[in-house]
Amino acid sequence: MIVLQLAINGVLLGGVLALSALGFNIVFGVMRVVNLAHGDVVVLAAVFAAFAFAQTGINPLLLLPLTVGAGFVVGALIHRLLLRRLPGEIASAEASSLTLTFGLSYFLTGAGLAAFGGRFVSVPYLTGAYQLGPISIPQARLLAFVVAVGLSLAFALLLRSTTLGRAIRATSQNLEGALACGVDVDAVRTLAFAIGTAVAAAAGTLMSFLYSLNAQQGVLFTVNAFAVVVIGGLGNYTGAVLGALILGLTESFASYFLGATLAEAAPYLLFILVLLFLPGGLRGRRAA
Amino acid sequence: MKRGLLALAAVAIALLILAPLRLNGYGMDLLYVTVLSIGLAYGWNIISGYAGYFSFGQIAFFGLGAYATALLVARWGWYWVPAALAGGVVSVALAIPLGYAMLRLRGPFFAMGMFGMAQMVRVLVTAIPATGSGAGLFLPPGSGITGVYYWTLAVCLGGIALTLWIDRSAFGLRLQALREDEQVAATLGVETTRAKITAFGLSALIPGLLGGGYALFLTYIEPDAVFSSRLELQAIVMTVLGGLGTVWGPLVGGLVMTQVSEALWARFPEIYLMIFGGLLVALLIAVPRGIVPALAARLASTRRS
Repeated sequence: MIVLQLAINGVLLGGVLALSALGFNIVFGVMRVVNLAHGDVVVLAAVFAAFAFAQTGINPLLLLPLTVGAGFVVGALIHRLLLRRLPGEIASAEASSLTLTFGLSYFLTGAGLAAFGGRFVSVPYLTGAYQLGPISIPQARLLAFVVAVGLSLAFALLLRSTTLGRAIRATSQNLEGALACGVDVDAVRTLAFAIGTAVAAAAGTLMSFLYSLNAQQGVLFTVNAFAVVVIGGLGNYTGAVLGALILGLTESFASYFLGATLAEAAPYLLFILVLLFLPGGLRGRRAA
Repeated sequence: MKRGLLALAAVAIALLILAPLRLNGYGMDLLYVTVLSIGLAYGWNIISGYAGYFSFGQIAFFGLGAYATALLVARWGWYWVPAALAGGVVSVALAIPLGYAMLRLRGPFFAMGMFGMAQMVRVLVTAIPATGSGAGLFLPPGSGITGVYYWTLAVCLGGIALTLWIDRSAFGLRLQALREDEQVAATLGVETTRAKITAFGLSALIPGLLGGGYALFLTYIEPDAVFSSRLELQAIVMTVLGGLGTVWGPLVGGLVMTQVSEALWARFPEIYLMIFGGLLVALLIAVPRGIVPALAARLASTRRS
């Protein structure tokens, strides 16, 4: 019975992880940038939501449009003001975007600590649980899962059947081809980074129902998103959902059977094992 | 010009050797931390600067060296110098098999893979009961900072000498070739795997040797103190600021950065990380190739005109 319970917890967590990974994936797909500040956006949104809830008692779902909007604007600014200015002619352009987002990650961690302090906070919203026989389903987790799945579906729809979505997919698949078809690649990149950051902020807001967090936990969510995306195959959006479920289940079972300290290492272990033995992910193309 | 530089280096080294005679406690601590950070930056520069494999996990070897030394000194009563040496040996012994596995990854995969590896090493070290788990480990007092300082200075100077050699040797050329294009390098007959693993091992040796000294300096170690993301970030920022893959980059970047860092840490401890991260971002945009290459380019252009 405990196995079923752990599986349910894992799946519910996986839904939110999938949303977070979608934001990470779109940035990598369109720009080939591994955004090391991704997790910091997630936790900043979570910590902000917790503080706003504590101050005003506002329904945290109403905070969602606010954090998403802020994430969009911040993401667009980061791309316009910083990432776009990186010199392209340096041999290690990839290294410089990596270093830039690495610095950004520490900047956001520090800013979050300065603004909200180091206390672990969460949103105590819907603390009850539905009982189905011996299984209990925490309401907050279920809500976060449902909203995350809804947002992911909306995201998939955007990618599949809008002009912007087609431009984004074209840029990920073939840069020269997209340029030749008249796609404004620069604008697509800004939008992709803005959307990626907005999605991270949405995931963070939902994460605040699930976890107690402080601004220093960002790295964990960067690694989670990276792991999900690597498991599913980089740039592969459906694979990422599968990856998120696997990671959610791993975390759920590891924290029960291995204890908190060793479970901390579980996502890293999964990440490294997949990188080494399945470099193309479960169903993706081979990564470089 | 060349003779003048050599004389300058000799004077600087002599001053560094004589420094403990004149400096008081705080000055000594500051000098020690400066030399330590520069040493770590030299270690990081070999794998990330010369070989082009960005690692966000070299701090694992520093922490490993620190814990190995602490265990040998505190539990088995070793004298600290062989214990610190053993820290370096342990780090290299781990780095070689690790390198075989991890160096097949590239770019962001290697960088984050190493980050994950460092986290796992930290968790595993914490899980061993002999290390005092998360609670930490006390070292017997008595070694004093002077010895630790000379040890660190020797390792740091060794790192500079090693980098000077790499910069001029065929081995260094092989590393730079595989940094620019690994496939072409392999086609030209470079044994890329062996070159990468050698570079990785050297990049682990330096922090491994420095870790033991740091454990003695702190006299009490716990996981967060030695697997320190602050020290890791600092080494990266110094190298990028000074000039990635250059001989003098880590030194110049390190001298500038430790002064800035000390001023910030003392005055704004609560927003230290924020300023440091922001500085890294600003530097990448302002001097993307680093101070040393920028100065060299300017010197070359004035000489030509």
